[in-house]
Amino acid sequence: MTAQSLMQVRTNHDGVVSRRTFLRSLAAGAAGLGLMETLTAHAQELRRREMACILLFMGGGPSQFETFDPKPGHANGGATTAIDTAVNGIRIASPWTNVAREMNHIALVRSMSNREGEHQRATYLMHTGYLPVGGVRFPTLGSIVASEIAPRNFDLPSFVGIGGRGIFGGGSIGSGFLGTRYAPFAIQNPDQMPANVSLPTGTTQARFGRRLGLMQDLERDFAESGGQARVTDHRAYVNGAANLVRSPRLQAFDLSRETAATRDRYGRNAFGQGCLLARRLVETGVTFVEVGLNGWDTHQNNFDRSRQLSTQADAGFANLVRDLRERGRLDRTLIIWTGEFGRTPRINGNNGRDHYPRAFSIALAGGGIRGGRVIGSTSAGGNDITNRPVGVADLFCTVCHSLGIDPRKENQTPIGRPIRIVDGGNHVRELFGA
Amino acid sequence: MGVFARFFGQNAALGLFAGLLLAAPLWAQETKKEPKKPAAQLPVGNLDAKDWLKVSTKPLEKGEIDRLVNAELAKVSIKPAPPTTDEQFIRRVHLDLTGKLPAPADIVAFLKDTSKDKRAKLIDKLLESDAYARHWGNYWRNVITTRATIDFRLTQVVPQYERWMTAQYKANKSWADITRAQLTASGKILYKEPDKNAQAFFLMSRRGADSITEIAAETSRIFLGVQIQCAQCHDHPSDVWKRRHFHEFAAYFARYRGERPILEEKKFVGVQLISLPFGEHRMPDKEDPKRGLAMNPKFLDGKQPAGAKPVPSTSGPIGRGGFFPKKGGFGKGGFGRAGGMSDDARRKALADQITDKNNPWFAAAFVNRMWGEVMGQSFYSPIDDLGPQKDAMMPTVIARVSASFRGNDYNIKQLFRDILNSDAYQRQIRPGEPGDEHLLFAARNPVRMNSTALVASLTSTLGPLSSGFGGKFGKFGGGGFGRFGGGVEAQIRNEFLFDPSTKAEEIEGSISQALILMNNPQINQKIRAQGTNMLGRILANYDDNTEALRVVYLRTLARRPTDREAKRCLEHIKSAGSRAEAFEDILWALINSTEFQMKR
Repeated sequence: MTAQSLMQVRTNHDGVVSRRTFLRSLAAGAAGLGLMETLTAHAQELRRREMACILLFMGGGPSQFETFDPKPGHANGGATTAIDTAVNGIRIASPWTNVAREMNHIALVRSMSNREGEHQRATYLMHTGYLPVGGVRFPTLGSIVASEIAPRNFDLPSFVGIGGRGIFGGGSIGSGFLGTRYAPFAIQNPDQMPANVSLPTGTTQARFGRRLGLMQDLERDFAESGGQARVTDHRAYVNGAANLVRSPRLQAFDLSRETAATRDRYGRNAFGQGCLLARRLVETGVTFVEVGLNGWDTHQNNFDRSRQLSTQADAGFANLVRDLRERGRLDRTLIIWTGEFGRTPRINGNNGRDHYPRAFSIALAGGGIRGGRVIGSTSAGGNDITNRPVGVADLFCTVCHSLGIDPRKENQTPIGRPIRIVDGGNHVRELFGA
Repeated sequence: MGVFARFFGQNAALGLFAGLLLAAPLWAQETKKEPKKPAAQLPVGNLDAKDWLKVSTKPLEKGEIDRLVNAELAKVSIKPAPPTTDEQFIRRVHLDLTGKLPAPADIVAFLKDTSKDKRAKLIDKLLESDAYARHWGNYWRNVITTRATIDFRLTQVVPQYERWMTAQYKANKSWADITRAQLTASGKILYKEPDKNAQAFFLMSRRGADSITEIAAETSRIFLGVQIQCAQCHDHPSDVWKRRHFHEFAAYFARYRGERPILEEKKFVGVQLISLPFGEHRMPDKEDPKRGLAMNPKFLDGKQPAGAKPVPSTSGPIGRGGFFPKKGGFGKGGFGRAGGMSDDARRKALADQITDKNNPWFAAAFVNRMWGEVMGQSFYSPIDDLGPQKDAMMPTVIARVSASFRGNDYNIKQLFRDILNSDAYQRQIRPGEPGDEHLLFAARNPVRMNSTALVASLTSTLGPLSSGFGGKFGKFGGGGFGRFGGGVEAQIRNEFLFDPSTKAEEIEGSISQALILMNNPQINQKIRAQGTNMLGRILANYDDNTEALRVVYLRTLARRPTDREAKRCLEHIKSAGSRAEAFEDILWALINSTEFQMKR
């Protein structure tokens, strides 16, 4: 499963499976008809490869000094100390002990930059690859990936968003012009089953089936009087929902099936449990999972707050890498750890750090990424990138490269304007290969 | 039928009016598949600004819309669908004008009414209702918010904007007045003064470095129906509006900087519009995007604001950053600090030029949008993309209707009266229509109701769904995850929300939507045939199943069941264990049905 061979697969679902075909096949699924005949060889190829992606989004903008680019000894570094990792020469901030152990499988980019210093716009940019433009609703990364590589005959949602509730959550950006078909399926609390997937009290499976049958019969007159096209569309979603309700794979959402020890390992907090849920979902066949951890906007009391958040992020991220690796899924799962920007080298009067998009750190693992590497570097005080700058478009191209998506493919907005998946940039070659 | 495909397969103007003789932009339309029948058959064409202005601005005569539409239909030998029954009409007109289902008693009374003008009277009555004003207030809220990135500080004033818009509709303010108020707004919106200055929300919906170009693009799209932002970065070889035109238009907003929060004692207390006393908008240099040419404000017709003195357009560095220019951003090599017009004067000039009676786009954009909203299909599609060289279905009709709208000073209620009293509006849906093609207004296109109307329908069917938290004007809106205010109403509002500028056939459902209506515990609690629930009361009041069924249908679908439906339901009642359970199943099936969510 090399990245090179993946790139040979040109993925273009929409070119071969129209929306209506998709709806029909979704409807056919419940009627017991197979979907495979409507899929192309390319799509089958991808389905076998089962590439997946997990985005760990650190809302608010984590400090690079307190995470993956510590500067102990420099005035800008503050009191944060650095620890050794499993890889000689790579040192990271001290709370990240679990990540340090997995460092052979994780690559750091210390030369990330982004031209936006405002939360919402930077969050938008880091999720879509584009800044907001009047009139165009760009899709978020999860929707892009789901539209490109998610299998069509799968009875769970292909894009699941976990947590991230609040002002800096990436979830405020939806599927944009790609349509609700690729919208995130939202999970607020990973400890509970998703909303509305269980039949209401007093409704047995048998009664549910009778109700669906009754509904189908009662729609006939509306369909025949002129509503047929709308009924066909609607029924596709109803059947999709009914399949989900009845799917044995629903148990992937049920964290109580994990041992207490495993759950403890990931951390008993929303982010840690979200990471565990992400692992279960990806193993079940979900294509994209975004897990949010907010609170990194540390204008005040940066050091204590960053340490608390780092402890949570460290356990979730590292155990996700470890488990996927031990279970043989890491090669096919790209994990991205990032915020919308970094934080200022200067420590402000409130012992905090402010927004700093010019030079910050992100981490990547799996999906063909070679771990144990550091890309780029910053100056002694962390003010400037001194080597190998990586922009947002470069990051998006890197994601595409890992997942086998053509970054130059053009999608059409509702007014027919072609929008490339990524505009500009190149994938970071040094992250792949030997 | 292939009409839709053929419609968009057309490239050039078709001679109904002499259009701009340019090939359609490459990206103009997506479908170019089917071989077309002789092109001249379709009532499709392209209008030039000059042509619009030649059309009479007199009030529309009774029946005039139908004479125009039917003449076009006759040319292509398409027979219109039959008129709606009273039962079909009352549901449609209620949903279209007020976003609410008619009450069962109103349906029964309307069916009994034998007066000839009862439909016109109903239209007038609904236009005077509070629900009408609220529906359109909510509509415009969604037009703006679904395309903006709105943070938590601004989210709080969204309901204030909705109330402001509602008040404008209630007072039947002209569309020109409503537009002008928004484009010339300034100052603050304070959380503690919810009914003050909320018209400034539109301009506050953008912020930061690119607020100028974003608001320019949105202003053009919403008020002119022109998507000039396509020219922001590139000249398109076949588009009449070039990059320079976009940036000249953006220059009206050169000193505008969008929203900034107001912080008092470490608390956000409101939002304000930022306006600078100097500065010019620069069109970025293609070689060096850090430099650009200073732009003079110029409208789409190439005219400068009245009385404006053009300033030399010289090259200089582009200021970036949030609210204020970075060093060197303005002044050096550009316009002097005192040069150019003030922010207020520019936006006032823009409002004047947009609402000018000689600007056809303003009226056409509104007519196209409203016609599309109530008819299920518009002349131009999508409804916010009129030109400059897009083909319209039946250009003669929109030209005349929008000319009359200009003639009556942009009177919104009169426009609704003209459209809704036409036969074209009052036609049935028709079997065999493909669902994603243009029906040429020969039959009604069934489309989804918006999320607010769906909540209202569920509420009028089942009673209030959830109390308190996340209620009517839920604080959170948007299409992503993580923005639920809580409660089933807020869930529905968020999950079913769509951008009102989306083409009807592109408004998609989702599995999450279906799951809510199927399984949500609060909804299912209300479906139960017990206590004071709707079904509990009906079953207690009506021993006869046929009678009870009729009432259930009136409450959910605002019609009586067909014979086949009644038969199927009665069979179900007979075969089910209990009467209550059987009726619960029926109510569940109706609420989950396609028709429940449709304007038809």
